Amino acid sequence: MLFRPNPSLGVPIYLQLMEQVKHAVETGALRPGEQLPGIRPLAEELVINPNTVAKAYRELEHEGVIELRHGAGAFVSANAPAKKVTDSVRAGKTIVASAVERLRARGLSDDEIRRLFEAELAGLTTPGGHRG
Amino acid sequence: MLWRKSWLETRTRFLIGLFLLLLLAAGNVLEYPRVSALIPAARSLDTGGGALGGLIRKAVELQHDYRGFIWWQWFRQNLTQMWTLFAVLLGTGGLLSQTSGGAASFTLSMPVSRTRVIGIRAATAVAELLALALVPSLLLPLLSPAVGQSYAVADALVHGACVFAVVLAIGEQIVADGSRYGIFGAMTAEVYFRTGGLPWPGLFVSAAASAAMLYGAAINIAETDF
Amino acid sequence: MADPRTIETLDLRKSFGTTEALRGLDLDVPAGSIFGFLGRNGAGKTTTIKILLGMTRPTAGRARVFGLPADAPESSVEIRRRTGFVSEDKELYEYMTVDEIVRFTAAFYPKWHRDLEQRYLRAFELPLAGRIKALSRGARTKLALLLALCRGAELLVLDEPTSGLDPAVTEEVLQALVAHVASQETTVFFSSHQIAEVDQIADRVAIVDRGRAVVAGELEELRERYRRIQLVFDGGAPQPAFRAPGVERMRREGRVLTVLSSAGADRIIDEARALNPVSVDVVPVTLKEIFLETVSAED
Repeated sequence: MLFRPNPSLGVPIYLQLMEQVKHAVETGALRPGEQLPGIRPLAEELVINPNTVAKAYRELEHEGVIELRHGAGAFVSANAPAKKVTDSVRAGKTIVASAVERLRARGLSDDEIRRLFEAELAGLTTPGGHRG
Repeated sequence: MLWRKSWLETRTRFLIGLFLLLLLAAGNVLEYPRVSALIPAARSLDTGGGALGGLIRKAVELQHDYRGFIWWQWFRQNLTQMWTLFAVLLGTGGLLSQTSGGAASFTLSMPVSRTRVIGIRAATAVAELLALALVPSLLLPLLSPAVGQSYAVADALVHGACVFAVVLAIGEQIVADGSRYGIFGAMTAEVYFRTGGLPWPGLFVSAAASAAMLYGAAINIAETDF
Repeated sequence: MADPRTIETLDLRKSFGTTEALRGLDLDVPAGSIFGFLGRNGAGKTTTIKILLGMTRPTAGRARVFGLPADAPESSVEIRRRTGFVSEDKELYEYMTVDEIVRFTAAFYPKWHRDLEQRYLRAFELPLAGRIKALSRGARTKLALLLALCRGAELLVLDEPTSGLDPAVTEEVLQALVAHVASQETTVFFSSHQIAEVDQIADRVAIVDRGRAVVAGELEELRERYRRIQLVFDGGAPQPAFRAPGVERMRREGRVLTVLSSAGADRIIDEARALNPVSVDVVPVTLKEIFLETVSAED
């Protein structure tokens, strides 16, 4: 169900995992209360470092997407934050879709569009001075 | 396990060597009737002067009795020559590298000290060389009755042991044939043959030389970068 | 465990005659990590590993494993008692069979795991009676790995574990490593020049170039710190001297100035803005790019 993260994207693997879990929750592939794969088995299956999986799970718990029950494993949160995430993500999808369409209409290539988004997400803004 | 490994790595050469030497020893013994028939004729030959002539005369004289024959043919010639060959083969098989099939780094990654590895390797080689020297020699007393002669077990053991004691220093053979300190003389134990006394000076030199060589090799291996 | 660092080197140096293989290497491998040791051929990876295992002696500097000095003969034996090693050439005793070499190795390790041995023999499909001489390269690597994994070692030192292997076998090897680390308390130190596999399973890396570590740290943190900043100018691009730290490389091509920064991209951009660029682009950098930018070209 979870895909192999791609290390060469320049995006940390744990973030990619988190995205995948959130996406799975949003599409209903993972339902509230359902159990996620254990850290060890997941690391083995995806052939990635177990610490990376652990970090992803910790961050997801921090964001309220999942809960880590001591001794039992990781479970999708039953309560609202998950649903909120789902709604926000759905709204976000619409925004991104229209933005991409508009940027393409301006003649930007997909690579350029991707770079703009990544730059934005990397926490640094392109300042005034960028002529469209 | 290291013992077993050393054995596995040297056993083919050892067994072939043993087999050949046994054949040679048997061959020597069985040859005696023919040689002894020739001796009277050889004695009356004019061998002329010079070193070679002297050697031939000496050979003929010695071989007029069985013990001398065996000493000349087996211990002085065949065993020492063949055995030197095998000693070189077994001993220089490469303490850590070649005979392991090139896996020096694997052996070195085991939790054993280098000294122990070469020690076991050397000890196995020494044991095999001892066997190569003694076992064929012990065949002589066993087989001699077949040609109507007898050969003392003590003689076989002493001569065999002397050959063994010396080859350890073959690499640095001090060519002083005939002298008290000569290794070759010690190896053939001419002294014992003639007088019953052991060739102590030569044996001592070879023991010292082999100890020195082994020590030098151990230091060298300990310092080597693999 | 006294020392949380499984492997530690300090200003490690090694010369072979006039060639300097290591010129002051500092390494820090914490317990429980999967540590990727990257570098070009000849950068000093194998030499470092040999020093750690006591096969080669350093010329200067310090190397410690489990807190013990790697160049002292007795502690080296102790280190090897707790370490599993796979050499670059996967050297094994050609004349032995799989079963013989397993028994040979097991004899040295009282903590040998027979259950793991059975599991890996099955998973790797290794024929017990097969002669090592006749094994394929992939099978040989898997056997060498089995011999390292079953001994109950706290540390695995692997020199290019997947070199020469096809993608399927590579994946098997990486999977076995990850599974092993997840279930046993083991530290893995592996050298490689396959960046993809380091990317995939390592949590810490060091990039070694010409005998020194030029980049080191947690992989995720490196990915968050390194940035490529591209500045486009109206006229020819300047080549400024940035006061802000963290500028690793700068390249000027026509109107474009590209800066690779290892930290503090914000401050660099602030300084860059003073030069009035037409545009400023900031993108993340992959491990491969970090590697290619920080190791030197053939000189």
